[in-house]
Amino acid sequence: MEPQGIQIENVSVVFDVQAGKVTAVKDITQRVPHTSFVSIVGPSGCGKSTLLAVISGLQKASSGTVSVGGRPVTGPDPKIGVVFQEDSTLPWRTVEENVAFAMQIIGTAKDARRQRAKEAIDLVGLSGFEKSYPSQLSGGMRQRVALARTLAVQPEVVLMDEPFAALDQQTRLFLGAEVRQIWARTHQTIVFVTHDISEAILLSQQVWVMSYRPGTIIDVIDIDLPDDRDASVVSTPRFNELHNRIWGSLQAESMRGFKQQEAHEKVTT
Amino acid sequence: MTTSYVAADDLPTETMPEPERQPNTTERRPRRMGNLVLSVSSTVGLIVLFTAFCEVGVRAGLWKESVLPAPSTIFPTLATLLTKGQFWEDAGRTGFEVAIAIVFGSLLGFAAGLVFWKAPLIGRIFEPYLVSFYAVPLVLFYPVMIVLVGINAMSVIILATIMAAIPMALNTAVGLNAMPPVYMKLARSLKASPGQALFAIAIPAAGPFIVAGLRLAVVYALIGAIAMEFTTAQAGLGYRIRYLYEVFDNNQMFAYIVMVLALSLILTVLLAIVERMLLRGRNL
Repeated sequence: MEPQGIQIENVSVVFDVQAGKVTAVKDITQRVPHTSFVSIVGPSGCGKSTLLAVISGLQKASSGTVSVGGRPVTGPDPKIGVVFQEDSTLPWRTVEENVAFAMQIIGTAKDARRQRAKEAIDLVGLSGFEKSYPSQLSGGMRQRVALARTLAVQPEVVLMDEPFAALDQQTRLFLGAEVRQIWARTHQTIVFVTHDISEAILLSQQVWVMSYRPGTIIDVIDIDLPDDRDASVVSTPRFNELHNRIWGSLQAESMRGFKQQEAHEKVTT
Repeated sequence: MTTSYVAADDLPTETMPEPERQPNTTERRPRRMGNLVLSVSSTVGLIVLFTAFCEVGVRAGLWKESVLPAPSTIFPTLATLLTKGQFWEDAGRTGFEVAIAIVFGSLLGFAAGLVFWKAPLIGRIFEPYLVSFYAVPLVLFYPVMIVLVGINAMSVIILATIMAAIPMALNTAVGLNAMPPVYMKLARSLKASPGQALFAIAIPAAGPFIVAGLRLAVVYALIGAIAMEFTTAQAGLGYRIRYLYEVFDNNQMFAYIVMVLALSLILTVLLAIVERMLLRGRNL
């Protein structure tokens, strides 16, 4: 077996809640090949963020194992970079200082820190804003800062948990296309969680469709669009076919989740 | 709380502001300088205006000398006061008490705030008491203090310290609890040590609240010290004002009051400088 990439084996996550036990992730076995870009789509509450948290080591799996680069994940590891959904830029630090922050925590030498921060800022297209504070930037620019902070650590894999969910549709597509270009240059292994089908198709080589609770992978679709695609690909027929297929898998699940939540609300209220 | 930005404000890539403009340096500085000049000149202007008003008021007979003496009487008294050893003794003692109360009060309050954050159970038990303590005029406990430590600087320092510590503790705890949860997730994902998480993330994140707590701590330390001196002490500016009031030495009393006002003004200016340094870069 190839040691690189991400190997997910029989991973389940069960949460204890007041009403009993909730299985967020059920028996998932999947592989993310080295340097590939995989997106996970699913209805809200399907456990896709939980799965990502397990890969990152922030959440312990109830059973099963995850290994990254051949080593089992036992806890958070700077080799596994995470970009969060929420704005995680630190408002008291300039862009430059924010980008250097992760390297500072893991103890990168000062010279390397400055050099790599500069490279990462260039990579996400924020040159010229080094001395700006997050309060002077838009939400999209702040997520670029967070992305640059993660990339500067040069992790083996980058996990993104709906990083652009709070942004408007246009910004999201543009940033998505940029993430793809960055990936084309750095070739890190990326797992990208989203609830937006277009975003998933635009970005990735492979899309996993996740079911509503208990979350399992119900469909895996290889995206056979050109490698150098940009946001204009959304108007091509092939994009529509892929979109329809994913939407078909998702629709039933979203309805099921919706009904379950409704039923749950009736019970609890 | 976690999504502090508004999606609608977001700029698509194409309309990103031009980097050449450097919004933070070229555009903002003149306005800030303008603000500083404005606040300094308006403060000076208001003081001059108020002084003039008091002078004119007495001369025109709007009120009697014994109610509020004219500044032209107070300031010469003040000038002679500054040459006297006794004044400097009083001011020194009050200054010492206030300084000690600020230092220990804010450190104590800060530590308590950290504990309330780290151990939410302790926070939930003690915070309500602190909040209600906040409203209690602690000066009322002066008889207890006299019995415990006697009539000396210590009783003043202890009460002023407690008064300073309470707002500091509450503000620190509120600031730390208001921190977006994603910051600690970030710390965990980078395997930050507890010390790094505290000093590199939590404390700066709670910065605005801690600074506001410090501001209150300073004010409360000053109020506490002066009020305690008023009631119990045998020295200090507060004691001297009460003494002069009792012997009907109006001019000297007002000279002392002006000195206390000056002291609080100095503290406020120092605080503003500290605040500027600690909160640099944040648009508040």
